[in-house]
Amino acid sequence: MTTTITTSRFGTLDIDEDKIITMTTPFLGFAEERRFILLPHGPGSAFWWLQAVDNPDLAFVVIQPAVVNPQYQPAIPLHCQQELQAAGQSDLEILIILTIPKGQPEAMTANLLGPLILNPIKKLAKQTLLDPTRYDPCWPVMRG
Amino acid sequence: MLILTRKVGEAIVVDEHTTVRLLEIKGGQIKLGVEAPNHIAVHREEVLTRILEENRKAATSQPSTDLDSLSRLLDGQSGLPPLPAIDTKSPARQG
Repeated sequence: MTTTITTSRFGTLDIDEDKIITMTTPFLGFAEERRFILLPHGPGSAFWWLQAVDNPDLAFVVIQPAVVNPQYQPAIPLHCQQELQAAGQSDLEILIILTIPKGQPEAMTANLLGPLILNPIKKLAKQTLLDPTRYDPCWPVMRG
Repeated sequence: MLILTRKVGEAIVVDEHTTVRLLEIKGGQIKLGVEAPNHIAVHREEVLTRILEENRKAATSQPSTDLDSLSRLLDGQSGLPPLPAIDTKSPARQG
């Protein structure tokens, strides 16, 4: 089954309903948006867009942490694993959310404190919060 | 707001399974002990606020043309297995 969604960045998209990811807990600050779709930025690009299905304007840029910070391999909190119906951490993918200031891509930061955790089989996701004494919410990617 | 007065050693119980106990009062600070089931996340409020602010910044940043140049910088570092459960189309080029 495909469905058509409207986005402000990518125009109208036909998406496969099976690919829709449901947030078990919405993003802080975006309580209304619970359904998202992951779209590659382009062929071979390390960047992905997490586009809200029900809000044309809302999209985050995410990346696999191994691309920018291979040391970043946090333990996923147990309550998060349970909420995402995972049997263990290996069932889950970690994605980090990027903040890219307009016109200054080199100032890009990664939110290592609040990664997005995805269960790719169940299509469930949530932003989890890690230890604030260990992880930086504004980690400078290019200087890291 | 429900307001309760507690002495050191006393606790409040939330929803039967979460206990918040006043452990110590020293200077202008109090120490709280929280006992909660695994599925209950407990955080300092300012950490949640920090994440909320960072989410808002992330949602309003992300210029597409900058991503193109960044992609070239990072391409050499990739070589990861593809993410599962993801649409193979690349609509970002239209934006």
